[in-house]
Amino acid sequence: MHIPDGYLSPQTCAAGYAVMAPFWAVASRRVKATLRLRQVPLLALGAAFTFVVMMFNVPIPGGTTGHAVGAVLVAILLGPWAAVIAVSSALVVQALLFGDGGITALGANCFNIAVVMPFVGWGTWRLVAGKAPAGSPRHVLGAALGGYLGLNAAALTTAVMFGLQPLIAHDAAGRPLYSPFGLKVAVTAIGLEHLLLFGFVEAAVTGLTLAWLQRADPSLLPVSSGDGAPSKSFPLWRLGGGLAGLVLLAPLGLYLPARLGAGSAWGEWSAREVARLAGFMPEGLRRLGEIWPAPLPDYASPAAGAGLPALSLWYVLSAALGCLLLVGSLWGVRRWLARPESP
Amino acid sequence: MTALPAWLRPGTSPLAPHRPGRSHLRRGAEALAARLGALARPAPPPSGFLAALDPRAKVIGGLCLIVAATLTGQPLVLALGYTGCLLLAAWSRLPLRRFLALWLAVPLFSAVVMLPATLDVVTPGHPLLVLWHDAAWRIGAWRLPSALTVTDAGLLAAGRMVLRTALCASLAWLVAASTPPVRLFYGLRVLGVPSAFVMTLALMHRYLAVLVQAAHDLHLARLSRTVGPSPGGALAFVAAGVGSLFRRTHSLGRSVCLAMLSRGYRGEVRLLDAPRWQAQDWLASLTCCLALAAAWWWR
Amino acid sequence: MSTEAVFQVSGVTFAYPGFPPCLCAVDLEVAPGERVAVLGANGSGKSTLLHLLDGLHFAQSGRVRAFGQVLEERLLETSPFGSRFRAQVGYLFQNSEAMLFCPTVAEELAFGPLQLGLPAAEVRTRIADALALLEIGHLQDRPPAALSAGEKKRVALASLLTLSPSVLLLDEPTAGLDPRSQGLLLDLLAGLHASGLTLVTATHDLDLLPELAERVVVLGEDHRVAAEGPVKDILADGPLLLRANLVRSAR
Repeated sequence: MHIPDGYLSPQTCAAGYAVMAPFWAVASRRVKATLRLRQVPLLALGAAFTFVVMMFNVPIPGGTTGHAVGAVLVAILLGPWAAVIAVSSALVVQALLFGDGGITALGANCFNIAVVMPFVGWGTWRLVAGKAPAGSPRHVLGAALGGYLGLNAAALTTAVMFGLQPLIAHDAAGRPLYSPFGLKVAVTAIGLEHLLLFGFVEAAVTGLTLAWLQRADPSLLPVSSGDGAPSKSFPLWRLGGGLAGLVLLAPLGLYLPARLGAGSAWGEWSAREVARLAGFMPEGLRRLGEIWPAPLPDYASPAAGAGLPALSLWYVLSAALGCLLLVGSLWGVRRWLARPESP
Repeated sequence: MTALPAWLRPGTSPLAPHRPGRSHLRRGAEALAARLGALARPAPPPSGFLAALDPRAKVIGGLCLIVAATLTGQPLVLALGYTGCLLLAAWSRLPLRRFLALWLAVPLFSAVVMLPATLDVVTPGHPLLVLWHDAAWRIGAWRLPSALTVTDAGLLAAGRMVLRTALCASLAWLVAASTPPVRLFYGLRVLGVPSAFVMTLALMHRYLAVLVQAAHDLHLARLSRTVGPSPGGALAFVAAGVGSLFRRTHSLGRSVCLAMLSRGYRGEVRLLDAPRWQAQDWLASLTCCLALAAAWWWR
Repeated sequence: MSTEAVFQVSGVTFAYPGFPPCLCAVDLEVAPGERVAVLGANGSGKSTLLHLLDGLHFAQSGRVRAFGQVLEERLLETSPFGSRFRAQVGYLFQNSEAMLFCPTVAEELAFGPLQLGLPAAEVRTRIADALALLEIGHLQDRPPAALSAGEKKRVALASLLTLSPSVLLLDEPTAGLDPRSQGLLLDLLAGLHASGLTLVTATHDLDLLPELAERVVVLGEDHRVAAEGPVKDILADGPLLLRANLVRSAR
């Protein structure tokens, strides 16, 4: 998942660093505030630990071996902000000394693996584990689920970064200057291999390691918030606020392509657009395109009309609906898990 | 002393089933040993042009050149730079065999990834090599395209990507191979990286070898006790290995914290002054900045 | 020189959170210029006692006084007394690996003085002198991973000496060392003591005891002080040593 140099356009690389800078700043401030003075060098060893975890061979069916990233495990054991620094450090050393991942792409790589993955995984773990005590199976399940979702979220953002390149950086003739594979190809290829294979490896390593620590050394486990003390480090309202902000920004996906005159993303044409571009509609495309009639095609109601304000409203509603469905299903899983436990 | 139980006497242990094939444990141990070797490699010789440059100059210069390479689209310029790296490695008396392995492997790998980009389904253009035409093959419900060709635009795009990736990787290698790792981290300060983070990197690098050694020993210990299929399988070993590695990390981290506290650490980091810049450092940095400016101008 | 006790430990009980106590109602006094040994089997609490003397942990009950001041976390982390204390008391950990956390030997020696805020020229002088004293000048630019056990111990000791301490706390200083390195270390410690340093050594090695200390405090396996007195008397007390699990049979 480490993106090498040369695949991402300079704009994307710069954006990666620009996005990471506030995360690094906030992470170092949070870490100094919450960790005691005597624990700050523990971060460096946590970074070394992350590095070595990425080297463990995990045999997968078929005879080959895979690797787990371990960012979610580090987020659970050390806290998500500490994980940002620890995983970033591991990525920096991998890129500088071992050529694993590009230098210009380092900001983007850090965003995917040191921000998206730990936070999504840690958030999932907190949602699923809830107020259960530190030794309960819910923690293990939450960790495993967090590993799966965290890795796939990171894979998704990586794939999106790849897939946007032909759209963002092309020469006068429209030919891509950097990674030439569009969103469909990138998301399918990268997404599938992580959804079907590496996600499970990550889930297994994260969950099983937490289970091992529960038996072998519970003093190392993070303290759950179920001890009565109010949890200071997971303000749910901030997550909700951030999500709401992103939902409201969804219409950018309409405005920007309209302003830049980009049209549909390269490779993401509907059957009608292909017919217009190529002069004919491939038979198979027409038939397959009619298999699943989406309730909200193109994120808007068919009755919305083509006006930008109406479409924007439908974009926001679609985003909100998608978020509600996702959060709701995770919350449902948590409630279902909480059922058999007696108080 | 009590008598030994019957099963403890020599010659009474049951035979274990035969386990064919190379154990993944052995492969894992070998990979870790290789990484240990890379980490413990002695510092590069002080002779050679690149090694004599100040690490800060190399950081600035390397970054400028890598960004310049990312901005450049001309395959000729990229190819020139790429060859230039090889010459620079030879001139600086860096281990050439290791560099050649990288110099050849990276473009090969990129070429494989970029192969689909040469086809007309990805990059339309004038066909150069027709793979097939007028075909009506199907794989299940998918009908393959009736014609598949390699296009000139596709070859150009793929070639440019391959050269660019290889050039960037070579530049990064040149900087890393000619500088002791910790000097490189200290050199990052010139880019504005805070001292605390640089110290985190240095501490991390210092104890990386310790943890890699611990992981290596875990693999060997497990290997020496493997007589048959293990309950829980390989995943159980990975979980136990990672878990006990975390325990070791935690206790070592605590000890290091105490040792630092005991010697006066109070959260602020103070490092010894770096050596002064010389004329050649100025020259190298300015040249690289100029290259970047040129790449920006003609992008 | 002040005749005030360097260390005064009164009725100290300490336990790590969630674990049974490592030290129970321990009393100890160390006078300036003394050589004291803390004798006890593994797990009797010797290392913990040294941690408390160095202000790395703080007792749940009882008090630890150093140079007349009660050791408290806030005092050590923020006040000028804390800085002076860190400079004056050097702790040689049993695990040299944890002590050598800088990239090269020279930087390791520089760490303490730099944290104290000494000027760079002074720091360089101290580094050169310490390297010469411990005969490790040829190791100056080596990373700690490339050192042998004896070299690591010498570098660790040198890194303490650059702070010009007046007290040294030593946790099993000769454990795991080959005989030549052991001899070098013991000679050096004798020399340092002759120049006025106070030494507190934790050990369970009875053979080296006469070279390490004049007075001995014995910690039993019940984590209490079992006995205290001159080295000769303690070594002659066979039943005591047996009870404290320091010998196999009472001679």
